[in-house]
Amino acid sequence: MNTQKKVQNVQTHSAAETEALGKRIAQKLQGGEVLALFGPMGMGKTAFTRGVAAGLGTGGVSSPTFALVHVYDGGRLPLYHFDMYRVEGWDDLSSTGYFDYLEDGGVMIVEWSENIEEALPPEAVHITFARGKEDDDRLITIESSGSDIL
Amino acid sequence: MKILAIDCSAGAASACVWQDGKVLGECYTNVKLTHSQTLMPMVCGVLEYSKVDLQQIDLFAVTAGPGSFTGVRIGVASIKGMAFAQDKPCAGVSTLEAMAENLRVLDCTACCVMDARCGQVYNAMFEIKDGRICRLTPDRALSITELAKECAQTAAPVVLVGDGAELCANSPDFSPVHARLAPEPIRFQRACSTASCAARAAEAGTLVSAEELMPVYLRPPQAQRSLKRRHA
Repeated sequence: MNTQKKVQNVQTHSAAETEALGKRIAQKLQGGEVLALFGPMGMGKTAFTRGVAAGLGTGGVSSPTFALVHVYDGGRLPLYHFDMYRVEGWDDLSSTGYFDYLEDGGVMIVEWSENIEEALPPEAVHITFARGKEDDDRLITIESSGSDIL
Repeated sequence: MKILAIDCSAGAASACVWQDGKVLGECYTNVKLTHSQTLMPMVCGVLEYSKVDLQQIDLFAVTAGPGSFTGVRIGVASIKGMAFAQDKPCAGVSTLEAMAENLRVLDCTACCVMDARCGQVYNAMFEIKDGRICRLTPDRALSITELAKECAQTAAPVVLVGDGAELCANSPDFSPVHARLAPEPIRFQRACSTASCAARAAEAGTLVSAEELMPVYLRPPQAQRSLKRRHA
């Protein structure tokens, strides 16, 4: 079970660069991937998601804090954008349709994965956002257990 | 009595028009969860090809769970809406009971099992003998390991049905059970089986109104655990 973990570190210096990273990652996506985002507010998670959406050929991304999930199906692959900030238990999670979307063959981006870590599939790509030296610097750690995501 | 029955509680989906023990028409697909797009066209199609108007339906039936959260919600909401508009009664059928119906001619212990993910399944056991189905357990959620232990103590041959059947059959826990896998065409819950269960509910007088019809979500045991991971 202990598949080799691959860790890559990326530094960005602006929201635009974080978005560009998302766009780059989108090129390699084949459907079925779960991108589990970790990190506090204002770290560029939504900017990153905007980039992934643009890379898949869709847009109009906004934070799904209230709706819990936004679906973007105008691109190359359907994109399911979750925000788990308000999810407090398995019943909550189940009622977002999370487990059904997991089997849908689209790309899942899960903001606030901290809140549902036990429910992430083992092959999920963990992407952690942290502040760097300067205010706009971001240290982004990408942990994947199989293929190259970058 | 005419029944319109639907099932979209898991990957498969189907709609059936049934009259007095006869299947007038059925439509079935097994192409994963696109039920919000495919279910209503199937209902319209099966009504049209069976030459039955929606207004002629006496009873609206649905597999009300267990199953996928989204699927169960779509099925129950759809049947509720139609029954409410027509002012007709409803039957909410156990998905596990509906699939046991598929094995009615086979003397066996039916192990009806649906994938609840993370090594958990929704299950109910039924004893089938001389065309009669007798429930042995309530609908429940448990681990594949626990289920295998129970099945190993069953004397009659165990037949696995449902979308968790293959999962169990392939699990090492199940190797001492020597369970048989129901063949693909009868492995999954079907709207015609749902209709058959609903007809019995009508005889037993256990129908409900559209308002009373409710989805049945079983909580897997994992739900007791914290969703957040504790970091050392």
